[in-house]
Amino acid sequence: MSTLVGTTPAVAVRRVNRHRIGRLVADVFTYLGLAVTLVFFLGPFAWILTTSLKGNNDFFAFPPVWIPSDPSLAHYVGLFTRASGLRYFLNSLTISSMSMVAALLVSLPTAYAIARWRFGGSVFGTFLLVLRMLPAIALIIPVYLMYKTLGLTNSYLGLVILYTVVYIPFAVWLLVGFLRDFPVEIEEAAMIDGCSRLGSLVRVVVPIIAPGMAVVALFSFIATWNEFLFAVVLTGIETKTMMVLVTTYTSGGTDMFYGEASASVVLGVLPAFAVAFMLQRYLVKGLALGGTKG
Amino acid sequence: MRVPAIALKRRQWEPFAFASPALVLIALVIVFPLIYSFYLSLRDFDLSVGSDSTFIGARNYGEALLRDERFIASVWNTVVLIAPSLVCELLAGLGIALLLNRVTHGRPIITALLAIPAMVSPVMAGMAWRMMFGVKYGAINNLGRQFGLLDVYFDWFSSPFMSVVSVVLVEVWQNTPFMMLVLLAGLQSIPQELYESARVDGASPRQSFWHITLPLLKFTMVVGVMIRMIDLTKLFGLIFVLTFGGPGGATETVAFNTYLVGFKDFRMSYAAALSYVIVGGVLILTLLFQFVQRWREARAA
Repeated sequence: MSTLVGTTPAVAVRRVNRHRIGRLVADVFTYLGLAVTLVFFLGPFAWILTTSLKGNNDFFAFPPVWIPSDPSLAHYVGLFTRASGLRYFLNSLTISSMSMVAALLVSLPTAYAIARWRFGGSVFGTFLLVLRMLPAIALIIPVYLMYKTLGLTNSYLGLVILYTVVYIPFAVWLLVGFLRDFPVEIEEAAMIDGCSRLGSLVRVVVPIIAPGMAVVALFSFIATWNEFLFAVVLTGIETKTMMVLVTTYTSGGTDMFYGEASASVVLGVLPAFAVAFMLQRYLVKGLALGGTKG
Repeated sequence: MRVPAIALKRRQWEPFAFASPALVLIALVIVFPLIYSFYLSLRDFDLSVGSDSTFIGARNYGEALLRDERFIASVWNTVVLIAPSLVCELLAGLGIALLLNRVTHGRPIITALLAIPAMVSPVMAGMAWRMMFGVKYGAINNLGRQFGLLDVYFDWFSSPFMSVVSVVLVEVWQNTPFMMLVLLAGLQSIPQELYESARVDGASPRQSFWHITLPLLKFTMVVGVMIRMIDLTKLFGLIFVLTFGGPGGATETVAFNTYLVGFKDFRMSYAAALSYVIVGGVLILTLLFQFVQRWREARAA
């Protein structure tokens, strides 16, 4: 209130009012701006969802129909039966789940070694940075040739191994953070009571840092789910993922088969919606380290 | 009570034993292939010709850097796509972050909603927008016609220029949320006292923005732009579904060009060389960026 010293009460009140009105106007514009932003960023999803529920009459209608007059799941049924969409959806689910579990199993002991014993020192940090920059295209050329020799193309195993390993640096990096927050004393107590190092990791540390591990797991799931370059090179007709399936609809030119294409996009973005809400607090960290892009 | 040191005494082999599964896997699936790829890049291995190959030294690199007009064009295309994307993402991201920073109600939910485009696969984003851009049934042309802004069915990918604009639009749609998240975190780490004391000293909101917010946000902006820049050099999935490099190769990025050389022409050795040129380019870009940053800081000090 120091600015009001020396003015008459009436002037002071007017000033406060003007300040309030200014704030109100600014607030209105803030929320208006955010509303426009939300429409721009979420509009495409809404349109894809309604499109996937439209019947043929709604597609061809003019003026365009934005909300389907007779919503049906026909396109989803068509996708699952005619285009083997169910199989590719399950492929994505299987590959992502397996890579998620494998990445956690391999990364946890490594992260533990780094957090407890400073294993690797500063070399690890540099290594992580280099891997973060490494374009996937540089890796897929030799890996494709290796997999061809080993017979690992068009198999779950080949993709799962590749996804697991590519994901290790990110998983380790996040896990080290969670492990550093874990009090050593609890572990020490367990070990004095006769627990081995591995035993204390499994029985004492894991239950407590489980939420952190869930964060890593979700990020690794979404990254694997979203990955495209490795999948398009290494999968065959049986092992295609959703990402590969959706690109097959581009062959119809700019006016492709909208019904099934939009249905497959809806299914393809579902995990992203779920994860964005579950991982709110970790989004910056995860996205900055490439946690969602394989 | 302090624990006897013996219980915690580190056994020499333990860290290695714990880290070994990851180390072995990384060696086999990342390090070895990269070495193999370099070896490959010095040969003339072509899967469409046969499995025989001979050592040709650095000839692949010479071809990529000096004679391959298509690759050199793809480098230019990548730059043309990166530059406007970075500028738009930074400005839009900053704008939205400033708006969100003012909001008192519902910030977490709005932030999570806005983050979704950054969480979806570029392939899915590209596909959604490809349908949006659809000539007859796409939402954009339909909206335009409904409001009388368009009187023809406009093909958004007919000209090289419009294709670049469309790709940049989708890229900006997808990754502005990332920039927004990073900048919002940066904004919230600026102490409120600075703004309060500036106001007491009679600074206008605009002055606070230029003299407090921007200088303190600079480092965050640099980090955000750098991460986006490195990721944009990998631009592939979006191109694959939106334009497939067209029209006439106008949107063919380095990653996409290398993919075509490797998995359409099957010139494996040459693709390996190209991928090493890309890695080198990204490395130089990163170092240059850091160098400029240090130089500017040194000059400012």
